[in-house]
Amino acid sequence: MVRTNRDQLVEMAVWGEAWPAALRSPYRPNDRGEAGVLMGTAGVILNVRVGDPAYGWAGDHVEPGVSIRNREDGPEHALHYLACIGNDAVVVSGEAAGARGVMTGEHAHIMVDFEPDVLEQIAIGDRIQIRAVGMGLEMLDYPHISVRKMSPRLFDKLRIEELGDGRIRLPVAAVLPAYMMGSGAELGADYVDQDMISNDRETLAALGLDNLRIGDILAIQDHDHTYNRGYREGAVTIGLNNHGDSFMTGHGPGVMDLLSCATDKIEYYVDTQQRPNLAAYLGIGNKSLA
Amino acid sequence: MVATNHDRLVTMSVQGNVVSPGYPGIPAIPHQIDHEGRPRLLPALGGIVYNVRLGDSVYGWAGDNIEPGVAIKSPEGPANQALNVFACVGNQAVVMSGNAKGAIGTVTGKSGRFAEHVILAFPPDVLDRLAIGDKINVRACGVGMTVRDYPGVKLKSLSPPLLESMRIEENDQKLTVPVKAVVPPELVGAGSGLTSESGAICIQSMDRNALQRHGLDALRLGDIVALADYDSAWGHGYRKGSVGIGVVSSTDSIKAGYGPGVTLLMTAPDGEIDPMVMDRVNLVDLLGIDVGGAKA
Repeated sequence: MVRTNRDQLVEMAVWGEAWPAALRSPYRPNDRGEAGVLMGTAGVILNVRVGDPAYGWAGDHVEPGVSIRNREDGPEHALHYLACIGNDAVVVSGEAAGARGVMTGEHAHIMVDFEPDVLEQIAIGDRIQIRAVGMGLEMLDYPHISVRKMSPRLFDKLRIEELGDGRIRLPVAAVLPAYMMGSGAELGADYVDQDMISNDRETLAALGLDNLRIGDILAIQDHDHTYNRGYREGAVTIGLNNHGDSFMTGHGPGVMDLLSCATDKIEYYVDTQQRPNLAAYLGIGNKSLA
Repeated sequence: MVATNHDRLVTMSVQGNVVSPGYPGIPAIPHQIDHEGRPRLLPALGGIVYNVRLGDSVYGWAGDNIEPGVAIKSPEGPANQALNVFACVGNQAVVMSGNAKGAIGTVTGKSGRFAEHVILAFPPDVLDRLAIGDKINVRACGVGMTVRDYPGVKLKSLSPPLLESMRIEENDQKLTVPVKAVVPPELVGAGSGLTSESGAICIQSMDRNALQRHGLDALRLGDIVALADYDSAWGHGYRKGSVGIGVVSSTDSIKAGYGPGVTLLMTAPDGEIDPMVMDRVNLVDLLGIDVGGAKA
């Protein structure tokens, strides 16, 4: 058992509302300059859940399940910074009041997974509260590895092995080279995700990255996200795919930071038998992965 | 020399004001966190910068993404968008108010998300007379320029005089473009996924060994560089075989994922550009810009 400071973590409520989809211009250019009209972020998504394919949807940056945000700037950022993947959520207003879900990712909105019967009852504007716990989580024997957006519940499922000499090892669904990392480089590592770049489909296929699923645990080579996100040879970052693909240049499935190390102390291997995916780990979303 | 439609381009005024530097207010924790986790308080974007000039090294300054010379911005969103998209590197900038009224400078680059500034070079005596808030008019010309016989090559933020000065040659249906250095795709950072019509894309500088390995440790403000395997036709993103050309327009940064800012000038998604590495490929030489003693 990896020793952590979980006994010291504070559990605190944050909240948002099921947020409406919005559209400025209907058209967006793809990487060849062709305009498209695609459904994108926000809303209650009834048919895309964590564990489903990241590619192939007729949508852009699709956020699975329910997207929530808060109207006020302070509470909105509390929601962003404090909510952790795997935290419990509860609907506190509307037809679905009392229904329980799970926080699955952070993008333009916080994404929450609910079962289909609950999704059908949720109206835009319904309040959803998250029991945020995970901010401040540390691996006590690995101070050189940063931990982010991680509920203790998810941490326990990651199948982390201790190898000695400050090293750990865990299974991932796929490995991303540094040059595939795009939009989000300009943002702090504690805020939302960084997209992998999916416009070069040949390279994507050659790297085995064209069959990712939302919720996949991924390794990024030579990326140090200890403080912001950047290239450092030998560094390793472990992340989680939080949203669907995009057709915009420099965009693609998003990767949220979970663990990062400036040196090579995080080892990983691709597990093709038991897919390292949030849906399977927490028994949510697409149940075929469990 | 390449053939273009430069005689059919529109020249239009876009205007901005000299911007003030800005910092967050109370609770008075104005630091940026550097890539080793240290809080640092340094001069950053904006303002009139007297001593960091085109031709100077991008590295070693006690500053973060410093814009050399003068940075301008329009107070109105859509007007600032027009300023940031239509202004082209090499365009003339004319001071329209204040003690330096009538002085002429040159557009040298742009800054990206979180700043949206256009960067200008003026001779030192003009910098001495400029005040924050002074109006500066850019005679924007370049957007819409195309290269005959190369429909796949897109030009951005590139003025006709700069294109003419770049010593581009046609070789075997490709454009050979002189550059100071070539940036590999793993070192392209902040700006990826964002617009290529304005703003900047950073050369990541956290890994100093990687910078040295790629000859990027001696870059100067105004150097022309190539981006390998980067497609910037409709936003910036990785594509094997694509080539971008840009100009180094702001200094290094302390933050992971950031570094010297590059304003994109040309992109060939299908690879019709061959960068040729050589010395003295800097705006100071190419445009004969007076920065008070040529330094490149």
